[in-house]
Amino acid sequence: MLELWLGGLNGLLHVDVLFFVFLGMVIGLIFGAIPGLGGTTAIALLMPLTYGMEPFTALALAGGVMGAVPMGGSITSILLNTPGTAPNAATCLDGYPLAQQGKAGMAIGAAGSANAIGAIIGTISVLAVLPFANELVLLFGPPEFALMGLFALAVVATASRGKMLRGLVAGGLGLMIAFVGYNDIAGGERFTYGVEYLWDGIHLVPALIGLFAVAEMINLTVKGGTVAKSAAAVKITSMTSGLFETFRHLGTVLRGSLIGTTVGAIPGLGGTVVAFLSYSVTVQSSKNPETFGKGNIQGVIAPEAAICAHDCSALVPTLAFGIPAGAEMAVFMGLLVIHGMQPGPLMLRDHMVEIYGLIWALTASCVLASFVGLLFVRPLSKITLLDTRILVPLVLSTALAGSFAIDMTIENVVVTSVFGALGYLMVRYDYPRLMVVVALVLGGNIERNFHQSMLMGEGGWSVFFSRTISIILIIATVAVLSLPLFRGIFRQLWIRKAPVERSRL
Amino acid sequence: MEKFTRRDLVIGASLAAPALVLTRRALGAAAFPTKNIQFVIPYAPGGGFDVYVRVIAPMMEKYLPAKVNIVPINVASGGGSRGVAQLYRAKPDGYTIGILNVPGMFILQQQQGAGAYDLSKFSWIGAMGEGERYVISVGSKSPLKTFAELKALSAKRPIKLSVTGPEGTAYAATMIGSQLLGLRTQLITGYKGSADYVVAAVRGDSDAVIAAIPTATRFVKGGSLRVLASFETHSSFPGVPDATSLGQPQLDNISVERVVAAPPGLPADIQNTLSAALNKALADPIVAKWAMENDLIMRARTPADTTQLVAQQRVFFDKWKKYLTAS
Repeated sequence: MLELWLGGLNGLLHVDVLFFVFLGMVIGLIFGAIPGLGGTTAIALLMPLTYGMEPFTALALAGGVMGAVPMGGSITSILLNTPGTAPNAATCLDGYPLAQQGKAGMAIGAAGSANAIGAIIGTISVLAVLPFANELVLLFGPPEFALMGLFALAVVATASRGKMLRGLVAGGLGLMIAFVGYNDIAGGERFTYGVEYLWDGIHLVPALIGLFAVAEMINLTVKGGTVAKSAAAVKITSMTSGLFETFRHLGTVLRGSLIGTTVGAIPGLGGTVVAFLSYSVTVQSSKNPETFGKGNIQGVIAPEAAICAHDCSALVPTLAFGIPAGAEMAVFMGLLVIHGMQPGPLMLRDHMVEIYGLIWALTASCVLASFVGLLFVRPLSKITLLDTRILVPLVLSTALAGSFAIDMTIENVVVTSVFGALGYLMVRYDYPRLMVVVALVLGGNIERNFHQSMLMGEGGWSVFFSRTISIILIIATVAVLSLPLFRGIFRQLWIRKAPVERSRL
Repeated sequence: MEKFTRRDLVIGASLAAPALVLTRRALGAAAFPTKNIQFVIPYAPGGGFDVYVRVIAPMMEKYLPAKVNIVPINVASGGGSRGVAQLYRAKPDGYTIGILNVPGMFILQQQQGAGAYDLSKFSWIGAMGEGERYVISVGSKSPLKTFAELKALSAKRPIKLSVTGPEGTAYAATMIGSQLLGLRTQLITGYKGSADYVVAAVRGDSDAVIAAIPTATRFVKGGSLRVLASFETHSSFPGVPDATSLGQPQLDNISVERVVAAPPGLPADIQNTLSAALNKALADPIVAKWAMENDLIMRARTPADTTQLVAQQRVFFDKWKKYLTAS
């Protein structure tokens, strides 16, 4: 196997191949930054260009694109509360408040370094797991996917402490929206009112652009001024402070990468959920959970590490079985087929060198993109000093155009606008948008897998208790949901033990 | 010289006009194509249909009478109906063509309602390859070794088959196929994509799966799937029964055709030009190599053949309509 690793690396170290990795990286950064476009669009557009290329080179280009997209996306998430890609929405939660405090440079620096480390850890895990990819994908079926979705919802729900009720309302709203569309289990449309666009449900990326970018632009217009409150702070923070922060919180990085890798290898949840999951877990395990959402740097590090780790491990089910772990992977699969590489069990047998080359390209691009991001931190943070009268029209038109450009449907823009209004109201009345996003992404998934499990088990519930992983997931979900309860009990005990403290309360 | 009168002008114009019109007409007909041709793909990039178009369309460019580009665009909304409607409404001048899933389009229209397009009115150009036939398979770890065993099991209890949602062709193939084979089934629906529901059978979620041959072949070669019976007239898998030996020749009618079409009312000469370019592209060595690597058969068809194919498919699926409408 070592020869294959090195073979992949060797194949990469040619000037022309490296050129394409670099080109892919630049394209990935740009497409990642522009809301609505992303890895999916980039690879779809590059497909015709790769016709004459060697398969290895085409993969290097694709790897370059996929590795750089998260970094591009995090830049706009932090500076403008505009998720460049869906997973970057999690970065908005703490990245944008940091930018408002003038610490955009630090946030971008932290995001970049978290990206790089996440990618490296993700790659190592993938290389270790790939030989067992077959068994791994076969271990997870509909019962496991349904339970995993529930577990993710539970984790994210308990992270909105102090706002539990509002979190649940937001989650309920997200679920309601998720169920719009064609029902895959029994057939028939739900809540589409005959509108053809809604056949596939509410499209996620336009909704996210509305929820975060448009909502924030409305907010800025109402308040006026600039994104960053203090120009002085913007001048001081630099990329090194960001790098420093990441290394200070290595535990967070490792945790995020671990979550990204494990969840990514299973074709169920996708990058968006992974990012929010990593975020929520970090909130849970923090000593000051109330600081999240207000500019806690860990809130940037955790999702970014998870996203990059996830992107690497999402290759596992895609290559091993031809089951794409998301839209980007689906397009990537198309690219593979055009070049004569059919994803599936044969791919792992016949094209291992190309796969390793791809993984190396992905990692290299991710690390390189982080450096590029770090280099441009100073000029980028100046964006936060732009007056809203210039910024808002610019961002708003880019966001709406990007939303339209996803698949050239004007209804996307309608969705973005509606969700923009919704997002603004949620910010105004302090409802966590996090819950809406996760519920929106997971809702359809959980329902479908639940019904499939029931069909498998012929109506009985035993199907959820028959396999090891399902049982582990059930226990984990119950544990997570009861954690706040235990914390409450602990706190009671603690207070009782220290009567001196009581007087201060 | 005599004065040039208005009468002369009128006579001159009336003599010149028909000549000009005729020349224009002649130029117009011979000059197709003069600009880029748009190829509508009603599905998302990266999917099966998308890949076919992206491989074959560039080859078609080589065989057109003039040098233009064929630009594929994806219009993936409404399960494909938006792309189909867009193609239907386009001008029938040969500059917009598209690929349609037959019988997928019939099924989709049943689910969504008659709406924006009439499938019988399209101008059919040809098809990208021979339609894919289906096979019924089990995971390699399954205790079932022959089709007879599967049939015996279905007499004892309904067998579980994994499929896509009701708007997919796999669902139709499974419903019709299991009816024809006389199997009692319980469907586990809702899997997404062509690989997902086959992996379900490999994993053991379901007892068996009815899948298209190219997909099934991949897993058979990888050692994780075993084919029990083929729906083809003559099985290409050694040692398994086929439609003939099972006494159900209709099984061979269940297929996924990738039909290339243009808006209704396309002039016959343009239709023929496009059809010839497509068929030559299918025979091109690059396409032939790609087809061989992926176990696909490229078969040339004339517009008349294609119209007949689509009509046949429609008749076949109309018969089975009642099994396919949503419950």
